[in-house]
Amino acid sequence: MTRTTRRSLLAAGAAALALPALLASPAGAVTPAEIKARGKIIVGIQGDNPPWGFVTSAGKQDGLDADIATLFAKDLGVAVEFVPLEVNNRIPALTTGRVDVLFATMAMLPERAKAVQFSKPYVANTIVFIGPKKDKITSNEDMGRYTIAVAKGAAQDTQVTKNAPAGTVIRRYDGDAPSIQALVSGQVQAIGGNIFYMQRIEQGRPGEFENKLEFQNLYNGACTRLGEKEINAALNAFIDKIKANGELQKVYDKWMKVPVHKFPDSLEGVPFTAN
Amino acid sequence: MGEAEFLFLLTGLKWTVLLSLVGFAGGGICGLAVALMRSSGIAPLERGTAGYIALFQGTPLLMQLFVVYYGLALVGLKLDAWVAVAIGFTLHASAYLGEIWRGSIEAVPRGQTEAAKALSLHYVARMKDVILPQAIRISLPATIGFLVQLIKGTSLAAIVGFTELTRAGNIVSNQTFKPLLVFGVVGILYFLLCWPLSLYGAHLERRMAVAAR
Amino acid sequence: MNYRLDFTPVIEGLPDLLLACLGTFGLALGGMALAIVIGVGGVILRDSRIAPLRWLVKGFVELVRNTPFLVQIFFIYFALPLAGVRLDPTPTAILALGINGGAYAIEIIRGGVQSIGKGQIEAGLALGLHRGQVFRLIVLKPALRAIFPSLTSQFVLLTLTTSVCSAISAYELTSVAQRIESESFRSFEVFGTITLFYLVISWVMMRFFSAISQRYFSYPVK
Repeated sequence: MTRTTRRSLLAAGAAALALPALLASPAGAVTPAEIKARGKIIVGIQGDNPPWGFVTSAGKQDGLDADIATLFAKDLGVAVEFVPLEVNNRIPALTTGRVDVLFATMAMLPERAKAVQFSKPYVANTIVFIGPKKDKITSNEDMGRYTIAVAKGAAQDTQVTKNAPAGTVIRRYDGDAPSIQALVSGQVQAIGGNIFYMQRIEQGRPGEFENKLEFQNLYNGACTRLGEKEINAALNAFIDKIKANGELQKVYDKWMKVPVHKFPDSLEGVPFTAN
Repeated sequence: MGEAEFLFLLTGLKWTVLLSLVGFAGGGICGLAVALMRSSGIAPLERGTAGYIALFQGTPLLMQLFVVYYGLALVGLKLDAWVAVAIGFTLHASAYLGEIWRGSIEAVPRGQTEAAKALSLHYVARMKDVILPQAIRISLPATIGFLVQLIKGTSLAAIVGFTELTRAGNIVSNQTFKPLLVFGVVGILYFLLCWPLSLYGAHLERRMAVAAR
Repeated sequence: MNYRLDFTPVIEGLPDLLLACLGTFGLALGGMALAIVIGVGGVILRDSRIAPLRWLVKGFVELVRNTPFLVQIFFIYFALPLAGVRLDPTPTAILALGINGGAYAIEIIRGGVQSIGKGQIEAGLALGLHRGQVFRLIVLKPALRAIFPSLTSQFVLLTLTTSVCSAISAYELTSVAQRIESESFRSFEVFGTITLFYLVISWVMMRFFSAISQRYFSYPVK
């Protein structure tokens, strides 16, 4: 920081302020035709949230979302390129044009539907509160006694923040992995997560925790940018197809080990088709 | 932590090295331009580059990465995540290297410039053959010191979601639940990368201090 | 797609963001205080007669200066609890910042002390100054003057590094900004704005340091 004058700092401020003005240009819509011409689809996915989306020790992208995305790419006849994203990078990565589509454990929530276009649901999930096995936790009020970890910007962040009594200490981490790590390290005593969290927590701290509260049954969909009709239509047709031909059941058998859920035809505040 | 996990960390290390090299090379080229403009004697250029340097030295690297990462996509440049991150590091490095090299250009005695002018050498020859060779020698310890900073700085790419060494460590630690071991190994890998450079920088510094005596 | 910049979430979050600046200053000041303690203590031990102590300090300096801050803070926060040391995010952040800044401070302060020639001390004594006066006027003040620029630029760097503490959910500007971002999905607007905040914060820090420097370390004008 040697010899930085006040004037140069002012200039720096002015430069920084001017930057957004340069950025009003559109990032260009993407269509299935364009993706086919390009020969690959760029998919935003989670990198550290097994079994939804995760990078294996061998460095390969895997998980339920990865399988569905690969099927979609095959449907379009193109290669798939995965971009692993942090939880709270997902929507920005899509809206700023960094990826074509998200298969990234995206719970279909009304506030998100204002920012992105959801497809029809392809998988169901439940947001849960996990606490020490020995404690009696039956109501939202009981959450106030714990320091709770969540992944920043994930559905469990929204749910825990909404349901925990005022004054509860909630710690937000950059993603699912660090939040589980915080629980396993003992930095927090409870965690907001999804149906698969317990499997992972059992590996780190066996026998100490269990699902205590269920907040919300959620459906996950694929996301595209608002107003991009063609790719949304292609996704919906694809999801209908894999539901009908049993390919979705195969993916379910591999990861969820339950029959395919019954999906709703509509969700309050979350349109499935672009207009 | 088994062999597969360790290999995964090494893949992360590869990206750390690659990112550092690209950032350093890109930052070196742009940084030279910044340094020359900053010491050009042309007021608007000097003020502009001073602002550029102040902006990058006065804000956190993490914010620079965030803004570049999302900003580039907004201007319509659809780049691979890693190219976007590399551009972020290039800009960051160009400001720091620009400032280091400006200092060393100015540390070359004025008499050299005057003598070169008296020999009627034009700007390019004066810089290329007289000033820069001396300036580079003067700047070497600081330049190497910054390279170490840059290597360590690439760890922040993890927060943007880029799988380099630190993020690989995060992922492995979360699969094995042995953070003490995993972050220990990650730390050692960084140390093995940075320490020889630091030692070399310190060695050069000592040698120059002796020469100056 | 047409991306329109929308700063509404930033404007609505302004009170939270301004409050979070205090968190950033708190971490920075705590980190600096600890860094000075470690720096001075380290220099004393570094020149100690007991060799293992000297090696320990040397090893500490090299280890800290050659590994990334993010790895250091992850290690303290996620790994140390397994060794029985569990600290909350804010103490962890201050500890990590202090350790990191301290390693640099040791080297900087040591350089300053070494810059005072023995001859100057002898000259001071020959002029009839007390030992206390010699230490204050000939050792301490010039040494502080010599190291002040490097020490303060290191401290500005430390202030900027506080943003990394968001990774362990410490309360400071970046973590609050990330919360606003995750609610509004307006990353560019949010991060662009707080980048300016940081510019102001580092400017304030520099003004503060240069005021101290002018007050205490400017050479008397005759």
